[in-house]
Amino acid sequence: MSDLKTLYSDIIRHHNESPFHFEKIEHAPVVLRANNPVCGDRFDLFLTADQKRISALHFHGFGCAISKASASVLVKSLEGRSLHEANNICNEFIHFIDNKPLHAPQELTDDFKAFSGVHNFPERRDCAILPWSAMKTYLESKLGRNN
Amino acid sequence: MALPLHTIKDQFPIFKNRPELVYLDSAATSHKPDSVILALNDFSEKENASVHRGLYDLSTDATRRFENVRKKVSDLLGVSNPSSIAFTKGTTESINLIAHGLIRKKLKLGDTIAVTAMEHHANFIPWQQLCHQRGALLNILPVTKNGELNLSGIDSMLGPRTRLLCLTHISNVLGTINPIEEIISIAHRKKIPVLIDAAQSTGHYPMMVDSWDADFVVFSAHKMFGPFGTGVLYAKQEFAPYIEPLNFGGGAIRNVTTEHTEFLDYPYKLEPGTPHVAGVIGLGAAIDFIQQLDLAETSLFTRNLTQKFKARLHELGGARILGQPSNFGSIVSFQMENIHPHDVASFLAQANIAVRAGHHCAQPLLESMGVPATVRVSFSIYNTEQDIDKTIDALAALKRFWSR
Ligand SMILES: Cc1ncc(COP(=O)(O)O)c(C=O)c1O
Repeated sequence: MSDLKTLYSDIIRHHNESPFHFEKIEHAPVVLRANNPVCGDRFDLFLTADQKRISALHFHGFGCAISKASASVLVKSLEGRSLHEANNICNEFIHFIDNKPLHAPQELTDDFKAFSGVHNFPERRDCAILPWSAMKTYLESKLGRNN
Repeated sequence: MALPLHTIKDQFPIFKNRPELVYLDSAATSHKPDSVILALNDFSEKENASVHRGLYDLSTDATRRFENVRKKVSDLLGVSNPSSIAFTKGTTESINLIAHGLIRKKLKLGDTIAVTAMEHHANFIPWQQLCHQRGALLNILPVTKNGELNLSGIDSMLGPRTRLLCLTHISNVLGTINPIEEIISIAHRKKIPVLIDAAQSTGHYPMMVDSWDADFVVFSAHKMFGPFGTGVLYAKQEFAPYIEPLNFGGGAIRNVTTEHTEFLDYPYKLEPGTPHVAGVIGLGAAIDFIQQLDLAETSLFTRNLTQKFKARLHELGGARILGQPSNFGSIVSFQMENIHPHDVASFLAQANIAVRAGHHCAQPLLESMGVPATVRVSFSIYNTEQDIDKTIDALAALKRFWSR
């Protein structure tokens, strides 16, 4: 039970119940699909970005509390960021979930730390990572092309 | 005398090793009784020989036992001819053998294959892909809100160009038991052969393949108390000469020259290479175990557990059961209000309750019923009413946890 309380931390539950920028954006310039074929979770990230910066970011779709909260945190963390910053933040999050943090815990945001309970539930790793991997793939190809 | 059900759990060592385990995922894979585990070990310890090869005792013994399992399988299926039984890796391989080893060459541009909307991906994707490759059409028999096949359209769906009808005996998501005998006779009136996916029924329900007149039947040992990596393809005699192997190699041949290979007859031509001998022996042991049960009794027992669980879910409130087929087996899918199936499964896992969450390899079905994922509970002979109590208690705790 205590493990479950850390998995479903208050912050995660808050993001799950009132997700940030949770809406479908018609005609968004870029739509990234984050989909887990194993479980059927599926989110779309609606993105407006120029060569440098993500100016608008929303998401919509269906998934468990962990993947939904994770997508919400992603949107909140990356909107307004430069592509480089956004890519670093993606790496930061994924490394944190994989227990190989790039920075000391005190340097992480509360939103990130809220996911530490996932460490005790390895089968939920993919839920936490889902939207971040999709975003990272997009950013890497975009940054790669710009170089 | 059939084995008594109230002590049957004692025969499954997993529950001695994990006394806390409440296993409600037998539709994915069943646990193995002592006798099957012993047969697998005994084979490795005392015989361990390949088949159809050596001239020494070990190999002739292994060959005899291996071949004898064809007879056991044919008895289990209600089939008179043991040579109609081919060993494969499982349901998936058996279906692909029929798709690519038989149907592929018959399938012309504009022909159709008929499936149902409640198929497991293993009985859906091979046909969808084959149709893409051959410019054929995939016709899909829809499912009603209740989770039953909608048979009203079947007559118009099956036409002169339908080359095969493929359907599951029991839905691995809804537990629906399909009226396969009736469907087979409808298809046969139009001269359309029928493949039955019996992954969820073999070993759990009485099978009467000859009298159903099914043309192809496929299943996996691991869902009926047997080992992984072993399964069966049954094909009616008239098709056997035309099924071609997809894999080539030793053991399946009569004669090889530099120009030509003459293959053995069905089923041997489909079993090239060194087979999973222990797996087949283990399948034989699983059938011996099943033959000690009274399947009419066991299927009623698991159905009653399912019925009771559905009623308890209803009492609990906040749960929505997917489908309400009138003829159902030991499977039930549901959703908890405002709680995603994965979160339900994680919660139950903390209470040592193993259930499945997701789309259960049946995305077209869930899509047609308008749900992205469910929690699935499935019962077997080793489950008890206490398992239901514990699960309902855990679900009640889940509701409290989630509403705090
Ligand atoms: C109805 C049905 N068909 C086919 C399969 C696939 O069986 P296997 O993975 O053993 O090939 C399953 C297993 O989940 C099933 O439930």
